[in-house]
Amino acid sequence: MLWVDKYRPKTLDKVLVHQDIAENLKKLVTEQDCPHLLFYGPSGSGKKTLIMAVLRQMFGASADKVKVENKNWKIDAGTRTIDVELTTLSSTHHVELNPSNAGFQDRYVVQEIIKEMAKNRPIDTKGKKGFKVLVLNEVDKLSREAQHSLRRTMEKYSASCRLILCCNSSSKVTEAVRSRCLNMRINAPTEEEIVKVLEFIGKKEGLQLPPEFASRIAQQSNRSLRRAILSFETCRVQQYPFTNNQAIPPMDWEEYVSEIASSILKEQSPKRLFEVRGKLYELLVNCIPPDIILKRLLYELLKKLDSELKHEISHWAAYYEHRLRLGQKAIFHLEAFVAKFMSIYKGFLIETFG
Amino acid sequence: MKQHEKGTGNGNASKPAKPSEAEKSTVIPQPEKSVQGSQESSGRRKTSKYFSKDKQNVKDEMEVEGFSAKRKAQRGGSGDLDSDVKPPPGKKVHKVEDDDDDEDFVTPSRRGSVDTARSKKLKSGVGKSVAQKLIDESDEDDAGKAKSNLKSAGRGRGGKSASATLTTTTDMDVDGSDEEDVDAEDAKSTKSGGRGRGGRGTPAGGRGRGGGGRGGFMNFGERKDPPHKGEKEVPEGASDCLAGLTFVISGTLDSLEREEAEDLIKRYGGRITGSVSKKTNYLLCDEDIGGRKSAKAKELGTKFLTEDGLFDMIRTSNKSKKSIQESKKPLDKVTPSPPKKSPHKPETKKQVATSVVAKGLPPVAALPKRKDQPTAQLGLPWTEKYRPKVPNDIVGNQSVVKQLHDWLSDWNKQFLNTGQKGKGKKQNDSGAKKALLLSGTPGIGKTTSAKLVSQMLGFNTIEVNASDSRGKADAKIEKGIGGSTSNSIKELVSNESLSLNMERSQHPKTVLIMDEVDGMSAGDRGGVADLIASIKISKIPIICICNDRYSQKLKSLVNYCLLLSFRKPTKQQIALEELAERVNGDMRMALNQLQYMSLSMSVIKFDDIKQRLQSSSKDEDISPFTAVDKLFNYNAGKLRMDERIDLSMSDPDLVPLIIQENYINYRPSSAAKDDNGMKRMSLLARAAESIGDGDIINVQIRRYRQWQLSQIGSLASSIVPAALLRGQRETLEQGERNFNRFGGWLGKNSTLGKNYRLLEDLHVHLLASGEFNLGRTTLRLDNLTLMLKQLTNPLRVLPKDEAVEKVVEFMDLYSISMEDFDTIVEISKFKGHPNPLDGIQPAVKAALTRAYNKGSSSRVIRTADLITLPGMKKAPKKRVAAMLEPITDPSPEENGEEFSVNEEENMSDTEDLEDSADAEKKLQTDLESLNSKGIRVEMDLKGSGSSSGKRAPSGRGRGSSQATDKKGGRGSGSASRKKK
Repeated sequence: MLWVDKYRPKTLDKVLVHQDIAENLKKLVTEQDCPHLLFYGPSGSGKKTLIMAVLRQMFGASADKVKVENKNWKIDAGTRTIDVELTTLSSTHHVELNPSNAGFQDRYVVQEIIKEMAKNRPIDTKGKKGFKVLVLNEVDKLSREAQHSLRRTMEKYSASCRLILCCNSSSKVTEAVRSRCLNMRINAPTEEEIVKVLEFIGKKEGLQLPPEFASRIAQQSNRSLRRAILSFETCRVQQYPFTNNQAIPPMDWEEYVSEIASSILKEQSPKRLFEVRGKLYELLVNCIPPDIILKRLLYELLKKLDSELKHEISHWAAYYEHRLRLGQKAIFHLEAFVAKFMSIYKGFLIETFG
Repeated sequence: MKQHEKGTGNGNASKPAKPSEAEKSTVIPQPEKSVQGSQESSGRRKTSKYFSKDKQNVKDEMEVEGFSAKRKAQRGGSGDLDSDVKPPPGKKVHKVEDDDDDEDFVTPSRRGSVDTARSKKLKSGVGKSVAQKLIDESDEDDAGKAKSNLKSAGRGRGGKSASATLTTTTDMDVDGSDEEDVDAEDAKSTKSGGRGRGGRGTPAGGRGRGGGGRGGFMNFGERKDPPHKGEKEVPEGASDCLAGLTFVISGTLDSLEREEAEDLIKRYGGRITGSVSKKTNYLLCDEDIGGRKSAKAKELGTKFLTEDGLFDMIRTSNKSKKSIQESKKPLDKVTPSPPKKSPHKPETKKQVATSVVAKGLPPVAALPKRKDQPTAQLGLPWTEKYRPKVPNDIVGNQSVVKQLHDWLSDWNKQFLNTGQKGKGKKQNDSGAKKALLLSGTPGIGKTTSAKLVSQMLGFNTIEVNASDSRGKADAKIEKGIGGSTSNSIKELVSNESLSLNMERSQHPKTVLIMDEVDGMSAGDRGGVADLIASIKISKIPIICICNDRYSQKLKSLVNYCLLLSFRKPTKQQIALEELAERVNGDMRMALNQLQYMSLSMSVIKFDDIKQRLQSSSKDEDISPFTAVDKLFNYNAGKLRMDERIDLSMSDPDLVPLIIQENYINYRPSSAAKDDNGMKRMSLLARAAESIGDGDIINVQIRRYRQWQLSQIGSLASSIVPAALLRGQRETLEQGERNFNRFGGWLGKNSTLGKNYRLLEDLHVHLLASGEFNLGRTTLRLDNLTLMLKQLTNPLRVLPKDEAVEKVVEFMDLYSISMEDFDTIVEISKFKGHPNPLDGIQPAVKAALTRAYNKGSSSRVIRTADLITLPGMKKAPKKRVAAMLEPITDPSPEENGEEFSVNEEENMSDTEDLEDSADAEKKLQTDLESLNSKGIRVEMDLKGSGSSSGKRAPSGRGRGSSQATDKKGGRGSGSASRKKK
């Protein structure tokens, strides 16, 4: 089993980072009055782990008994019926799903699932909880309409169901939804915390982990615990007796993005733009979300950019990311960003070096 | 052109500041000018008067020639000096740009400029003092001036062009346009206003307008920017200087695009052919002498001509043609503006013929059919009016017409005579058919030919226009066939026999023309059959006409008819080459176009036709590629916006995609002199942004149904990028063909969709394993790299058996199937990176597959398999069978112990069973009836609907072999659950 999964704390007591939050959550749950929760924070900070732990705290071990199900909704939308299909993870007490996978029909999913849960309230009242929990992932990716319909149903059915929302950025969740939830900001763990976890795992696995190496992994993980553990294990797979200066293999796609970045910086020409398009397609086809590509690309570019350009380029990256969201064909906007960058950078180079 | 700057200079200077003019008038030899001015102005007033002064006019021109020569020497800026104000310094650049325009008209413009300049001077400055010679003239001028410059200028121009009529057409045009320019700028009147004035009924006015059109074309010339050199000036020459010459273009030319060269040659009356033949006069080529064309040319002794040579030819033609032009004057004068319009029309056409086909030749009636048209037929459309009256007039398809003629004349003998003798014989005569089927594209003269030939042979034609009266005709035919004789066609068909019997000799023979038979069958299925029946019993010839003889509908008819197909007339046959090109070989269309044009102008020139027809060219099906080509074409700039929208709307989905795919390949002509590529790069960025806009708008259109945005959408996604980058296409990759690629997005998007589906499968499997609970994105971004390592690294490093064991173990743990394995590998592949499977021996891979498959028999049920994956909705029978098998399973409990690891999955499987008191019992009932089980599951899931029903059967696992274990697992699961 991968270490990320193997050493995932199952209960609120066992968490290594965010112990204070875990403590609070525990109190919240045991007092039996659980509000809607909104977990937000960067990826790899432990939101999901906490959510699972909270569920376990609420419902006991039965919350772990999940089944995967492909749900199918037939929604009557006036003139036509819409078929929506989603994979859900559910136990007797909770349902977890990722409505943003339904594209812009997510609002039907959100409405339907909540109504459905409200309709069949848990039968065994001998259990403590009179409600079910709906875990919605990636709420920030929900369309505006879905969020609006969410806020209505959140109140209407709050007697029978609690929502746990999980997202990266709370700013993309509408104010209305946020105000109906208890917001839990999950910070990214500090590097020390990461090192601590890595050492814990190393000890459990019986590995010799040089502290410098651990801190290097922590550094490179960009404060994502998951990332850190994964690359820790990757290093383990690659070469066991760890050395201090052992290479930490980057994620395959990150490597590719940095190649793109350096090729953009090397030459700004239509030909290069064309090549970059091919590479961007490659990334997209390999299921890397376009906004992540753009973010990473900017990150790589900024590393090598002259300081006076950094602000401008960041501005344009934000501009094109916004357009990316508005639009549909990601490649157009990525390419537009690259073209814009090339044009700016080329102008800059000519101006500076003639 | 000089006119422009002079005009502007004048306009700025002359109006507010008369002194400058006065100054000029002192500088310039006064009397001469005044004479000329008066002459001209008199001409302006009364054209006839002007005619009589022909000689004088010639003299004037000579004089002007002198000036122009001088000016030529001074070209580049100070050309105005001798006649006009000081050159406005700021205008020089403009002048250079305009040079080619200028050259188009060397003679005329020079003269025109001088003339107009002078006349203006006279009008304004000198006019007052000198023009007393002709009182009315000066009156007019004064009045005009008093009122507004605009008016006088406009009037002056109109008159001027009238006078100019008497020279040659080009001269006139130029005069008109030049003056127009001057007027426009001088008096701030708009061009169109000036035109309207000029076009006021007199042919001269019309000509002026023609010139205006040409002026428009000059703008195009200004715009074009040949990507290679583009710096050469395209010379101007006499309009007909290349008349009668045939050119072949080979290779790339020095500065002109091939299309431009063709345009140029055609403009001056030359012909372009594709390959070298004896008739070819010149082979136009610059660099690469070699290849087939030049070899052939050498063999035939064709002269080689470089681009410069061509320019020289055009240039020199100017002077030499001058005399010819003048000598031609009388010819043209023969048709001076009579008050009536009607006789003018034929004349127009003659001019069309002459000016386009054989510019410079005396007006021969190139299209003879038009010659003898009585003017009385005015009201008819030209297509009717000039419908050929004699078979010889028919343009093209002579052989077909001949056949038609033969058939029809033979018909008499063959059928009428045999009909007389007895019907039996007809059938025997297999060689001849009783009916005729003419086919061909619209407008190439099928009906006309049929009618004509019939008429010539003395037949009385009865035309049944099937598309008009189809229903009636059909009904009649049917009725007729049905036994009634009231049907007119039927009547005809049978009547003929009657009349034949009675008075065959005198009776006018009749022929039935069934027009548009392919349209006929659309309404009534029986139509064709009835027609065939009619043909069988017919005693008169029947000519059927259709457009597409391969039409399915006509298949049966074809067997009964003699087939004749009309071909499109070639360009020469239509005679107006450019027109022919535009209308795509449709003569009717061509004539309609001509008629339409004649309303607004009396002289139709190459450029006019080109311009006009580009807009009104027949709606043809345009492929997205053609549309993109046109949008990116170097001269796409002269397309109007609505045309561009039409182009991009020809396929609003594909065109933007193709544009997006290819816009990088274009080298924008607007950034031709851009050495470091900076300009192009920023244009690319702008285009890319605009394409992005298009995408955003498209989302609004599709998702929120804002269809009113579609125009702006196509503007952003196609027109703007194309406009920014239009120019020459170049290749970016080695070995790429220099054609627009198909939009890559579609393919990539479908691959993307597929990969997401695969990833989702993997994700579901992972989720089902219970060890993983993260999102799909996280899976891809973070976990996949390590998973891949875990899956492939052992295979590379460890000995085979150990490696396989380890990997299979890992796969089992996460319930990764072999397909998922492939998915992981596939998704992690990057072009230019080593394949993740590199370094793995095929044998090892095979061993893994084997081991996995072997393991699958002992493998416990996976919840992953319980999930209905999209696209796998129906449970295979095997699985249903597998479900039933566990009845025989003796010891589920034991198995349960064994597979306790997989408790969770099993749990989830049996989740729905939880409510039941006894899992064993449940199992039993379960096995008893699949249906009941399905229902129960549905109840348990409450509302998850059909999916639960589906889920149940498919959930029963992979194959019968594993059924026992599976069931065991499940049994244990429920059991353990119960314990809890």
